[in-house]
Amino acid sequence: MPSETEKGRSPSRHVAGQTNNQKTASHPRPETSRLVTLCIAAWLIPGLGHWMLKKKWRALILFLAIMGMFVLGLLMQGTFFAFASPSYLERLGYLGELCAGLAMPVAKFFGYSGGNPFFISADYGTAYLVSAGMLNVLTILDAYDIALERKP
Amino acid sequence: MVIHHFPAMVLFALLVSVVFGILGRDTLRERILYGVKSFVLFVGIAILLGWIMYPFPR
Repeated sequence: MPSETEKGRSPSRHVAGQTNNQKTASHPRPETSRLVTLCIAAWLIPGLGHWMLKKKWRALILFLAIMGMFVLGLLMQGTFFAFASPSYLERLGYLGELCAGLAMPVAKFFGYSGGNPFFISADYGTAYLVSAGMLNVLTILDAYDIALERKP
Repeated sequence: MVIHHFPAMVLFALLVSVVFGILGRDTLRERILYGVKSFVLFVGIAILLGWIMYPFPR
């Protein structure tokens, strides 16, 4: 029976956890190089990690949601932070935006100037850009857990 | 793209809830329910906080 701390979780997850030990003998842990490749792929393109794990619908929806959020951030003239900034918060913002993968370099390549902080929606745009990166971090961790068969 | 506060918040909540739903649960039904719950809580709590702040001057 699922414990109180697992309330709201699918019973199948508890069952999967119970059978994981049984599976270990026939399904050894993936190689570290494969896990690293998976995580890097998941970082570069949101949803690619799930695609590589044959979770195609999840991959597609995650890609559309995260990239949709990033594109909306660009349309709202959100700011691209710079790592060379003297402000630690702006450096964190840069890392947050970088977590969205190739999206930021591609946007810069196609001429996105880094936003207009005086534009009326720019603050929302910046929040959207950073949040897209943060959601991608969750996606990477999820792909990692699926690769290790910790979840279906 | 000019967008006002409330639509921006609702759109943000929608996109985040979709991702939360997919990552947070295992079956399709549970994902949908969790995503909807997450969205309702996002928007509802934001509106509640707005009303709590309403009496206070700028």
